[in-house]
Amino acid sequence: MKNQMTRRDCLRIMGMSGIGIGTGLGIDKQLLAQDIGESGFQSSVIATNKVQDNRSNAVLIDGKVIQPRRQLPVLTETDVLVVGGGPAGIVAAIAARRAGAKVTIVERYGHFGGLWTGGLVLLILGHIAKGPKQVCQGIGEEMMRRLEKMDGAIINRRPGSNPTVDAEAVKYLMVEMIEEAEVQVFLHCWGVDAVTQNNSLRGAVFESKSGRQAILAKVVIDATGDGDIFAAAGAQFEHRSHNVGLVSRIGNLDRIDKTKTSDTEKPKRLGSATPVRGINWVNLTGPEVDGLDLATLTRMEMNHRKYIWNKTQKVRKVPGYDNVYLAETAPQLGVRITRILNGLKTVKVNDIKNSTRHPDVIGVGGASNAEHGEWQIPYGALIPQTVDNVLAAGRCISCDIRMADLVRLIPNCFVTGQAAGVAAAVAVRDRCKPRDANITEIQKILRQQEAYLG
Amino acid sequence: MSNKKLPDDSAITQTSTRNHFRLLVRLVCLIGAVLCLLPIRDKDALLAIVPALSPFVAVTSILATKTIQPIFGLGLITGLVALFRHRWFCRWACPMGLCLDGASCLGRRLKRKPFQTMSIGRWLLALTLGGAILGYPLFLWSDPLALFGGLFLLTEQHQLLAGVVSFLLVALLLIFSLLWPHVWCRGLCPLGAFQDLLSTMSRSVRSILRPATDLPGRDHSGHPVARRTILGLLMGSASASILRITGREPSQPLRPPGAVDELTFKGLCSRCGNCIRSCPHNIIRRDTGQHGLAGILTPVLTFDKDYCREDCIRCTRVCPSGAIVGVNLDNKPDIQIGMAQVDMNLCLLGEDHECSACMRWCPYNAIRYVFSEAEYMLVPVIDAEKCNGCGACEAACPTSPRKAIRVFSKVKAS
Repeated sequence: MKNQMTRRDCLRIMGMSGIGIGTGLGIDKQLLAQDIGESGFQSSVIATNKVQDNRSNAVLIDGKVIQPRRQLPVLTETDVLVVGGGPAGIVAAIAARRAGAKVTIVERYGHFGGLWTGGLVLLILGHIAKGPKQVCQGIGEEMMRRLEKMDGAIINRRPGSNPTVDAEAVKYLMVEMIEEAEVQVFLHCWGVDAVTQNNSLRGAVFESKSGRQAILAKVVIDATGDGDIFAAAGAQFEHRSHNVGLVSRIGNLDRIDKTKTSDTEKPKRLGSATPVRGINWVNLTGPEVDGLDLATLTRMEMNHRKYIWNKTQKVRKVPGYDNVYLAETAPQLGVRITRILNGLKTVKVNDIKNSTRHPDVIGVGGASNAEHGEWQIPYGALIPQTVDNVLAAGRCISCDIRMADLVRLIPNCFVTGQAAGVAAAVAVRDRCKPRDANITEIQKILRQQEAYLG
Repeated sequence: MSNKKLPDDSAITQTSTRNHFRLLVRLVCLIGAVLCLLPIRDKDALLAIVPALSPFVAVTSILATKTIQPIFGLGLITGLVALFRHRWFCRWACPMGLCLDGASCLGRRLKRKPFQTMSIGRWLLALTLGGAILGYPLFLWSDPLALFGGLFLLTEQHQLLAGVVSFLLVALLLIFSLLWPHVWCRGLCPLGAFQDLLSTMSRSVRSILRPATDLPGRDHSGHPVARRTILGLLMGSASASILRITGREPSQPLRPPGAVDELTFKGLCSRCGNCIRSCPHNIIRRDTGQHGLAGILTPVLTFDKDYCREDCIRCTRVCPSGAIVGVNLDNKPDIQIGMAQVDMNLCLLGEDHECSACMRWCPYNAIRYVFSEAEYMLVPVIDAEKCNGCGACEAACPTSPRKAIRVFSKVKAS
């Protein structure tokens, strides 16, 4: 069997050994022609002497940079548009699709997962309330179960413990789940503006390599984390500062010779284990700054990378630690909190103390280390006070300043994402504004989707 | 007079009926006391009654704190009646007395000789009152009503150890009463001795005012009593002042909000357990001797599970001796229990973990996380102006087994 090569194997080897070389056989020529293109060269000309279509570049008039008015091409029309492909956005898209809506999701980076993957926030915190009792169920829990079935995707997945995932496994799983759900996807697509009509969202505008375009939708879910879309639409929000850090991963921790150093000299702050052997993820909290300020974000990126490199160099100088190396710094800066929606309702810290029960509960949050009880998230916390047809999901939902650090945790983003997705689908189905959507129906579908509502 | 020496039948019947009636009253008092002390929440007023009835506690507290609290009124009334009715409280009301009398009766049936002679209670009384003047009542804890109240800590699950200690103390007294009937009431009880003193004083005053009147009872010249009492008072004051000078313990425990100064507290606290039982969040425990022998069985705060709530002042309402005073809901944020301190070797932020528990739960916004450029990490900083040591941060801190943020008494913190 081993010696008998199938045609497929043969092609694979051919392909690997260099596309340009394998031209001897006719069959290969036929197959590779698609890749090579008409010109017979690796690249082919799509258009010559071209001037950008519909161009309306900014112009300098009287020393002022003016962006001319222009009509934007509409990329697509959909029922539910999800802006942002992080934990909240992905779950929102899947939930809305499963609830029967036509869904489009756009993501500014080339992969899904947001800060979970791009920010390397690999530890799942916040899904366990005192007991311990796991309060994050539904699609978030489904992801956890599927990660469990994958090889090397998740560790510490035990009742009552906080698991750690592998970022690449999560990126893969999210692609798989989004494709299964048949959600329309646009990556490399940065939501920059809202399309409004009479104080109501009708879609959003994106910047990408294909230029500025719009997507029209019946309901928009703002899962940008920064609330970019609801802010652009004129919804009221609170602009807060918070710590901006940068996660990194260091390797070869399994090759440390601990006999060479005394306990007191052993370097600290080496992070915690990941599913990859010898690799730790290292958190960094960073200073409290404005995460919406360009100059600040730039400074944070540069300072943090310098610090992380220098710190790793120091670690390498400790006897026995010379093999430790900096595997990567996260592609995405760890911005925690920026804009927080002023919603119809607000998640308050006293809700935990008083075990408040909301009639419009759409999800339940836990604690970082099961140190306190569960707290309910009301549907009103996703809805802006004035603007219609937009729902917030993820870290930017309406919450008081003490709750932001709980609301922003990944499992709670799953929970609010799923709720926003279902609510949007219900609003589309019933042809009503999300604020008028039947809450009993939303809760019913959420329960059908195995969400825990207290 | 002759009638009394040779009582006729009717007198005997009368005495017997009177004894039965008195037994009934005492039983009712005992049941009442038990009902007052049983752990039913939201009945602070009832909880305070039993230990507050002691005039010994009330007078000592007035001397020690130099203040008069409304709660002392009960004890003062008992004392006032005792001026005219010798040991009326012992004979009619004392729940502890009834229990010990039961044991004594049993002892007498077993042909044990009743206790007659020595009076330690008088010395306990004098030493305590003398100490109280200088702010350290030495033996206030030996008040029988406080001892009786302590028994009811057995009903609190989290206070089992303290309850057992109190129970053993009372059990010891019961055994003593069995072996030497009436040893407590006649020989040891400072509350009894205080009533003795009160009636002696009133008799002396009355004999001066009305020398012709023949007062019943034994003929007291008053002088030996006075001499002993003054000697005791002086000794009490002397030992209290020695304790004041030398008694600084290295580690000071956390006391309930509004506790008087530490040394006074150790003496003034009658160990009745009222504050412990009134606390709805079970953060007050009995000291089992970690902070020196002088403070044993006094209440200390523990914040491992919960904290001293900003909307609660119950323990300050039920203290019969004024050891915990002067707190209302308005001034509670300013009443200093202690001060929070962070151990960066334990704090999760020290290992770059994501945690904001102490900041989130601080009711007074006293904690902020400040980014240290040098360490390149967040460090919790506590605002000494705002922190009153309520322990919310300690209760919320997720590190275990030791908490990274803990409240220490102000003395150590500063």
